[in-house]
Amino acid sequence: MSTAPVLVPNPLREGLHEERIPEPATMVIFGASGDLTKRKLVPALYSLARDRLLPARFAVVGYARKPIPEDAFRDDMRKGCDEFARRRPVDAELWGTFANHVFYQEGSYDDPAAYAALKTRLEEIEKALGLPGNRVFYLSIPPSSFATVVRHLGASGLTSPADGRFARVIIEKPFGTDLATAQSLNRDIHQTLTEKQIYRIDHYLGKETVQNLLVFRFANGIFEPVWNNRFVDHVQITGAETVGVEGRGGYFEQAGILRDMVQNHLFQVVSLASMEPPISMDPDAVRDEKLKVLKALRTIPPAEMDAHVVRAQYAAGSMAGKKVPGYREETGVSRTSQTETYVAMKFFIDSWRWAGVPFYLRSAKRMPKRVTEIAIHFKEAPHLLFGKRGEGIRPNVLSIRIQPDEGITLNFGSKLPGPAMEVAPVSMEFRYGSSFGVEPPEAYERLILDCLLGDNTLFTRADEVEASWTWISRIHQHWAEQAASGNVQLATYAAGSWGPEPADRLLSADHRAWRRP
Amino acid sequence: MVAAGPAGAQPTVAERFTRGEPIDVELDHIERAFADLWKAASAAGDGAVSRAALWNIVVPTRAQDHERARKMVDELAPLLPARVLVLVEEPEAAHGADADRDEGVRATIESNVVARSSGARVVYSEEITLRGRRGDARFGALVRALQVPGLPTATLWSDATMPEGLLRRQILPETDRLVLDTGLCTRPRQLLEVQRCPELASHDGLPVTDLGWLRLANFRLQFAGLFDAPVGGGPLLAARRVTIRHRASDEPSALLLAAWLASTLGWLFAAAEPAAAGVVGPRFRFDRPALSGGARAAASPGGPVEIALFLSEGECGTSGIGALELETDDPAVRFTVTRTERNHATLTSPIAPPRIVTFDSRRDAELFVTALGPAGRDPLFARCLALAARLATFTATT
Repeated sequence: MSTAPVLVPNPLREGLHEERIPEPATMVIFGASGDLTKRKLVPALYSLARDRLLPARFAVVGYARKPIPEDAFRDDMRKGCDEFARRRPVDAELWGTFANHVFYQEGSYDDPAAYAALKTRLEEIEKALGLPGNRVFYLSIPPSSFATVVRHLGASGLTSPADGRFARVIIEKPFGTDLATAQSLNRDIHQTLTEKQIYRIDHYLGKETVQNLLVFRFANGIFEPVWNNRFVDHVQITGAETVGVEGRGGYFEQAGILRDMVQNHLFQVVSLASMEPPISMDPDAVRDEKLKVLKALRTIPPAEMDAHVVRAQYAAGSMAGKKVPGYREETGVSRTSQTETYVAMKFFIDSWRWAGVPFYLRSAKRMPKRVTEIAIHFKEAPHLLFGKRGEGIRPNVLSIRIQPDEGITLNFGSKLPGPAMEVAPVSMEFRYGSSFGVEPPEAYERLILDCLLGDNTLFTRADEVEASWTWISRIHQHWAEQAASGNVQLATYAAGSWGPEPADRLLSADHRAWRRP
Repeated sequence: MVAAGPAGAQPTVAERFTRGEPIDVELDHIERAFADLWKAASAAGDGAVSRAALWNIVVPTRAQDHERARKMVDELAPLLPARVLVLVEEPEAAHGADADRDEGVRATIESNVVARSSGARVVYSEEITLRGRRGDARFGALVRALQVPGLPTATLWSDATMPEGLLRRQILPETDRLVLDTGLCTRPRQLLEVQRCPELASHDGLPVTDLGWLRLANFRLQFAGLFDAPVGGGPLLAARRVTIRHRASDEPSALLLAAWLASTLGWLFAAAEPAAAGVVGPRFRFDRPALSGGARAAASPGGPVEIALFLSEGECGTSGIGALELETDDPAVRFTVTRTERNHATLTSPIAPPRIVTFDSRRDAELFVTALGPAGRDPLFARCLALAARLATFTATT
């Protein structure tokens, strides 16, 4: 077939703008032999195809060092979809055609010849399947290989597409282990890629409730006027997991909960919950406002660090009626480990809106229940009219549950039925599961789709990453100094409890207490 | 107050109510009956009952179509918490010719119950059925009185042959979104009646959408996707013939699909040839204007293009469409979307091997929920319906 030298725009796309269908493309997954590809990425792509959200012309190319026959790779991906895809059971007919567009390419991450071979393979696949050369490279590889892979992708011309085509790179967390490594990584990849080509993924941002923070705050007129230090007493953020290290002791020993949860996921939640209204929903407008929050985090002086940040490690305890070992007894964990599995902190955002409002954040493993939430605690009414009968009055709390059972709850006082003016706390609940009959997409589905559509609103920008590391690295530095001087302040808590006593003191010193989420 | 009798009998009524059975109520006690029954249900059941509603939904229907409407409303409950007002127009015979024997409007209420998998929450939505004489002027006042305040109201006007006065004078003033269903049209000329509805709604600036239009979304999306890069819109500008294969009773859907193509591609209707005997359907000739300047001009020679409708014996899904094919002067250049079994379709184009994709056969309730979202504001629809109605005038009259 002859093609025009200049591509004629597709007029049938007019009027289909409400459908978020990306252009035909190829996704290359680096680290395709790893768990994430099988458990999350390919199941997410399959579910997107099942929901008709992928273009009909689409290919997936797995790339890894391990030699795997292409058919075996496809079979393994099918097993992953059977077990983990949101849309199950797998549609055999759809899988048949989907699998025909799944390929595997063996190659090293640091060999130029491997990238040349990959380029040739991609061109062959794209020619055979009528794909235009749009490419997304998903780096699901050890962080130490990020810069190397990006450099080789650039050197082989894979990140410089033809006119009108796109080449984007999704980078999994962790993005650096401290400020210096994050800055170094940003410098390295910016030598090859523009910031618009880089999609630093944080799957928390793909969760419906996190996105709903923006809608809840900025699409409703009644909340924003009270979303400030005139009405808010304090804010509590909880990121609690019931699991321990689940066989990832080696990784967690190097990371700790502060790196694993707080620097990325929970700080993203904090910034969305506390940022100023963006001038538009343009990606950079939103990210500019998030960045301002991270830059406004008040620096904690080293001398006050222990009074503001509590770290702890779980000891043996019980979860769901079963005994579980302490952290130091887990596989891959040093018996003298000083890695924190619990962190609680009090911090301030030095802005006009939040001046004087303490934020209390805690994140931990082996908590009694799995829950991530942000709770806005409002100030008490300025004058309490009801005397002893009003003892049931509690300050209003607006809690936004991010997982599980996503929703929003508002607690307020109500008159008890009866002749007396007695007050009792009641709650008004909104639950996604009840109000909307549809099942929300998996976070990876949403984020992969956004990347294919070129929308990086829900991805973290370089300066955001560096701003959060700037603040977090001071804590790590303080802990490193304590370790060097043999003065480690590390509490313990029983697995299945809500954390150590020093964390309770963090709030009780301010005449407050942690919520029981 | 619940019409079932004294207070002592209420638990039984409450049980019937939570099972979803219709309960007779007096017209002026509907809200109180709901409150009493929910209270009783809460006391008798496993804790507090949620009364959730995101929309008021008005469903006018004729008595003979009531069962279909009921089924849709029942299917809607787990998808969209709502207060649903079903207005059943009964034939004159049911009320007698004598106005003095008018039984007035009669009401029943019922619940739709959904148990969530977590077991923690149960969502109930409320359904009120009002039965009255054809065109009963009391319907409008009852709709106004029974809407949950502060919620938007959508009207499903699926039978365009119902009295226009009911829509114009009683329902449209209370409506925020009008939902039609061209999929229920079995004869092309019924599109002319449907077309009146967007015209009426346009006076109030109401968004209008169509379940039939949404049923065609699979074909529109997948066909459009065939012309994404690297193909581009060139073959569309060089098109000579389009074939639409449809189920015998779904010629109106085929006309709507034809109108979408012609409207979007700027083809100007020129002439029609009515259906020939057998399976050959009508053919419509369009003039394709030559373009000037740019890449489009090079690919667009102008000239005639034909859209031909054929009956299909194959799988046509809920849209009624079996296949959409486009040919250019070059016989090797052919693009097709063909519906296959079990909600799949095969896509073919000259540049890639055939590919199977999933199609849906969404139930009316699912489509209705979609219609209340952004897809319910598709500005293309009214334009395409107008053209489809014009094409319908050239089809057979029966």
